[in-house]
Amino acid sequence: MEVIMPKLGLFVWALVIFLIFFFLLKKFAWKPILEALKKREEGIENSLQEAQKARDEMQNLKSENEKILREARAEREVILKEAREMKESMINEARTEAKEEADRIMAQTRDEIQSEKMRAITEIKNQVGMLSLQIAEKLLRKELADKDQKQAVVDQMIDDLHLN
Amino acid sequence: MGHKNTFKNMFKAALTAAAFFLLLFANTGLRANHAEHCENPDVKPSNEVMHHITDNHNWHIASFPVGKCESGETEYFHLEIPLPWLIYNSEKGIQFFMSSAAHENGYEIAEGELYLLGQAPEEEANHGGPEVLEAIEEAAEEHAGVEVEPHGPTILDFSLTRTSFQMILIGLVLLLIFMAVAKGYKKNEDHAPKGIQSFMEPIVMFVRDDIARVYLGKKADKYTPYLLTLFFFIWFSNLLGLTPFNSNIAGSTSVTIALALITFILILANSTKDFWLHIFWFPGVPVPIKFLMMIVEMIGLIVKPTALAIRLFANITAGHFMVLSLISLIFILGKNGAVPAAGWGTAPVAVAFTTAIFALEMIVAIIQAYVFALLTAVFIGQAMETHDHDHDDHH
Repeated sequence: MEVIMPKLGLFVWALVIFLIFFFLLKKFAWKPILEALKKREEGIENSLQEAQKARDEMQNLKSENEKILREARAEREVILKEAREMKESMINEARTEAKEEADRIMAQTRDEIQSEKMRAITEIKNQVGMLSLQIAEKLLRKELADKDQKQAVVDQMIDDLHLN
Repeated sequence: MGHKNTFKNMFKAALTAAAFFLLLFANTGLRANHAEHCENPDVKPSNEVMHHITDNHNWHIASFPVGKCESGETEYFHLEIPLPWLIYNSEKGIQFFMSSAAHENGYEIAEGELYLLGQAPEEEANHGGPEVLEAIEEAAEEHAGVEVEPHGPTILDFSLTRTSFQMILIGLVLLLIFMAVAKGYKKNEDHAPKGIQSFMEPIVMFVRDDIARVYLGKKADKYTPYLLTLFFFIWFSNLLGLTPFNSNIAGSTSVTIALALITFILILANSTKDFWLHIFWFPGVPVPIKFLMMIVEMIGLIVKPTALAIRLFANITAGHFMVLSLISLIFILGKNGAVPAAGWGTAPVAVAFTTAIFALEMIVAIIQAYVFALLTAVFIGQAMETHDHDHDDHH
């Protein structure tokens, strides 16, 4: 029974001592400790949040960069395409022009050739005519040595003229 | 900075002074108790066990046989630290003296109780205790209503006993340790904890996060200091109780009842209307059951702190009983040296078992501290709870 029965004196002392040390510990130990722990936890929380924010910002920056890059690539694509088209059209234009020029030159040449040919032919005709006349003259001279023959030739010529 | 140092120095000076006084008292104790006791050298296990488990009016360290008395008994030298006694005597008023001066002031101790000198029951008379007690009770019944004072003046004993004195020591140790920890936070601000700080921090955070914050919700931070004090006080007391020369503080019902009383007051202080409604008019059950629940819940209200007190007391006391009984076994089986072989034979077994029990007690020390703090948080949390009364509508 002695073990179990509480004693008034010890009970009162236990209560008083425990409460006194509770208040002392609370003021000098628990309060600064808990506050420091809380402060540190908040610090960690803040740094984590800031890190997350920085990461988000980086992500944003990265995506923005990517967007710019993509746009630049698209623009390059467009410019290249345009250039290619321009090149193509320029070549085509040049080709047509050259063709036209060539055609024109060819036509001109052909005309010139034609006219030269005509002139040559005329010349030849004239030459042939002159030669013919000279031949005819010679022949006539020979033929008209006698009178009869002269007459016959004149007649003949007049006939011929008719025929012409 | 200077202020802080002044405080620190004052604290150190106070501690030094306390240690000095302790030594001084110890010295007077040595002188006062020298050659006072002639005793039979036989170990009486039940007396020894009770002496160790119950509270004492002085701090007994050890006894050495120093010679022979004339009566043939052995003369003992008791090494004791005397403690201050504070007694209210209805005739002499308030008396204050050291335990070493007990006889000069007219008091003596028998079986852990305080008596006026010469009024303590003799050991033989004690064996006939029940009959004497019955006789007193009969006499009391005859004088119905009249106070029976067989010992003369009313004596209220408020002495600072071994247990209460060691509670102060535990408090000082806690202050010393946790002020060092708190200083660590100031010194190592923004750095990782160091030394004792890093040892205590996880435990402090465990109490805060896994006891207070789980069960106390919004009021958790308000009660964390109390729960921390409770936890460390009980834990350190239990550890101290496992060392030689020291009291099992939490193995005293006076102490555990005091702690449970604080919990009970905190339960009442935090109780909501809802809490009392569930006690006196349990919602959602038929009326006859409501009356039944009223009785059950009212008993429950008292049982909660009572169980707290008994659990802690019983666990700690049981451990000490086991250790002391195992050691006593050596003297019982060895018949106090009459059969030395049996004593020596028992010793290794007893020591092995005691070691095992000690290891267990080390765990029990912290488990009981945890359980007490946890249940205190749980009970306060229950009292604060407000329920949704949806279940009313279904009946």
